[in-house]
Amino acid sequence: MRISSKTTYDAIKYQLARTAADLVKANEIVTSGKRINKLSDDPIGLVQVLSLRESLSNMEQLSRNVSTARTWLDGGETALDSAKDLITDMKTLALQMANGTVGADERAAAAAQVEGTLEQIVSLANTQVSGQYIFAGTRTDTKPFDILLDGSGNPTGVSYAGNDTLFAIKIGKTTNLEVGQDGEGVFGDGATWGIFKSLIDFKTALESNNVAGMNQAMGDLDTDLNHMISATSEIGTKGVRLDVKEKILEDLNLSYSERKSQLEDADILAAISDVNAKETAYQAALASSAKVMQMSLIDYL
Amino acid sequence: MSGISLLLNTAKEALMAQQLAMDVIGHNVANVDTPDYTRQVPILQAKNPAEYGGMIVGTGVDVTSIQRNADAFIENRLQQRQSDLSASSEKELYMNVLEGIFDESSERSLSSQMADFWNAWNDLANNPSGDSERSALCERGALICQAFSDISADLDQLHRELNLSLDAGVGHINELTGKIAALNEQIVAMSASGDANDLIDQRQHLINQLSEYLDISYYSNSDNTMTVTTGKGYALVSRAESYGLSFDGNSVRWESSGTGTTDITDTITGGKMGGWLDMRDSIIPGYKDELNQLSSSLIWEVNNIHVQGVGLETVTDVTGTYEASDATQNLWDQNSGLDFWNSIDSTGTFDIWVYDSSGNVAGGGPNTIDIDGAGVNTLNGIASTVDGIAGLNAEVTADGKLRIYSDSGYSFAFSDDTSGVLAALGINTFFTGSDASGMTMNAGLKENRNLIAAARVDATGEIASGDNTNALDMAELQYRDAATLGDTLGNYLASLEGSIGIKSQSITRTREYDEVMLNNLKETRDNISAVSIDEEMTQLIKHQHAYAAAAKLISVADEMYQALLETK
Repeated sequence: MRISSKTTYDAIKYQLARTAADLVKANEIVTSGKRINKLSDDPIGLVQVLSLRESLSNMEQLSRNVSTARTWLDGGETALDSAKDLITDMKTLALQMANGTVGADERAAAAAQVEGTLEQIVSLANTQVSGQYIFAGTRTDTKPFDILLDGSGNPTGVSYAGNDTLFAIKIGKTTNLEVGQDGEGVFGDGATWGIFKSLIDFKTALESNNVAGMNQAMGDLDTDLNHMISATSEIGTKGVRLDVKEKILEDLNLSYSERKSQLEDADILAAISDVNAKETAYQAALASSAKVMQMSLIDYL
Repeated sequence: MSGISLLLNTAKEALMAQQLAMDVIGHNVANVDTPDYTRQVPILQAKNPAEYGGMIVGTGVDVTSIQRNADAFIENRLQQRQSDLSASSEKELYMNVLEGIFDESSERSLSSQMADFWNAWNDLANNPSGDSERSALCERGALICQAFSDISADLDQLHRELNLSLDAGVGHINELTGKIAALNEQIVAMSASGDANDLIDQRQHLINQLSEYLDISYYSNSDNTMTVTTGKGYALVSRAESYGLSFDGNSVRWESSGTGTTDITDTITGGKMGGWLDMRDSIIPGYKDELNQLSSSLIWEVNNIHVQGVGLETVTDVTGTYEASDATQNLWDQNSGLDFWNSIDSTGTFDIWVYDSSGNVAGGGPNTIDIDGAGVNTLNGIASTVDGIAGLNAEVTADGKLRIYSDSGYSFAFSDDTSGVLAALGINTFFTGSDASGMTMNAGLKENRNLIAAARVDATGEIASGDNTNALDMAELQYRDAATLGDTLGNYLASLEGSIGIKSQSITRTREYDEVMLNNLKETRDNISAVSIDEEMTQLIKHQHAYAAAAKLISVADEMYQALLETK
């Protein structure tokens, strides 16, 4: 078969270029650490990577949402726990004061203590989490509870300025968790029922030496305490939901990240050995080409 | 002729023939690297014999012709393959650019921008009255618009570059066909006096170059001229005549010898021109179309949720962003000229809440507008209906947009739009524009971030600062199938990018295949037609020896003459 001189050189040129291109591609995979560097490197894999990336970004956001939800719930729980302690103290105080041996002076002093507690619980009910009132329904910018005073500065009631829609946070693709509280539902309306009314009644009973009123206050405080306990346990249940959600998100995050890495990241060991193989092939091609190019009849004439 | 002088003459002819043969070898060796050079072979033939002493005696050798060693069939296949390869190489080049435009490896990629956008809505839902969340969302919104319009602009730029290439390509083609026609003329002239081998090679080289630009076909005529036509038969060269192509900025036109020009854009399938046209007219517009569908769907879906809500404050003056070209047509009719006329549900309604100066709901409740109610159904109808509400005024602006503004001391908000009219008119929307290039954030929101609608007006008309109902709904949009796409926005983008990758991959494979095929054909052609130094050297030695032998004949004849002369 007749082989022209041009064929020899063209073939060498083409083969070397191809081997060099293979080497560059193999090297790109090692240096970038990525198996997919362009859309066309693996379009099917890329579509999966994109959807995994979307899910991961999503889960990151949901994790952030879950921690925001947790600060709300924690804020609520802490406030209610403190309120429960204060109510328990008040119950004890009512028991002491209802005793017939207690004098009017002591009762008057206790009345001042009750007023202080009232103020403390109102301030607990006005708890803010990152600048938002958590017991105000969705009127999170409005201070929900205010003590109403009569002309001589005595508390006559507590007003509620929030609403009964609960602030919710997205903790799943389509799951919203209500983390805010309807303050009125928890603390009462301050006029007809709830802890504020009980305290004001208790204070009035103390001031007027009304033992029956004090006994009545004991019962009322007990009801309020139970009400508070059930509100706290509701928050606790939501907290458990968050724990579960957080665990799921962590697990998913891990498995998605792994899957994404499998699709997208280069197996570095394989990639390096690939570079070595391509390098050897390239060197061999160069060496044999150099030999072939040197050969000519002219050398022998 | 005497015996000795016959010998002398034969030797002289032999010397000349061998020398000529060596000249041809020299020419071959000199052209060992010339592209498309065809090896030339001297054809040596015994001269006509002469009668001598009753015998027929040979009279030596003669070079009768110098032939080109070419195979027309292979050359022809080579041209076609060259056209295919040029087309696929150019497409591969542009696909690489296209892949770069949709680059997914960076944080600036469209998919990350979209993910960031949804996350910003989530953050706003976590803190609906937060100003930093609002400004972050504005930022994300602007970035996503920027990303869409950047890609759209890059695709337009590609389109312009392709047009420049096509224009330049037409210039090259005209230059080549002109030269081929000129060579045709010279070849005819030279063929009369001998072999026009080198001119034929030159012409072949030009034809090879021409096939890089265009799919062509050609055939040789009896007078050695070559007729060249486009793949679909429009004549480019006929004998000494060439027909030009022209590019009018959009289509390639063929200039016939007669009057007028013919649009041959769609008939060009091969060569660089074919590759460029395929990119420009089919591949790029396809992706641009999908990009526009995606952006238009994103605009609509986001807007249609945004209009359901209300910001931290109510508004006193709002003008729509979409124009109706005819304010007397049904809004859901194409003739209304609204970009999103098709998305309006004529059976729907929407509510307008009017608030007095102390923030109380005026009129006792929402004003429900039934958009297909009598006298409401057109833009003019909506304007006059809204205008009829106490405390509100409405008009259709000169450019066909709806403007609603309140009396002094009053303000208003919207809710419960089941018709899609608010989104279609661009009232209280998040985005403006209807495709990737024109997508921007509503200027009103940028100026006053408090108007970003995270909340919804509740059943009593209250707007709570901590209400995040609308933001939560918006954050869920990413999981929902968009009406016009039949898929989620994220999935649609992923499959768009996947299809670009697949296209690019298949074009690269075609290019690799074309390249291998072309190389095989080139090898076959070169093995027939190109120069082999070893072979030429062998021939050279052969002719050198023949030359020496002929010289020896002369000295023998000389000795014979001397022997004769000495006998006297």
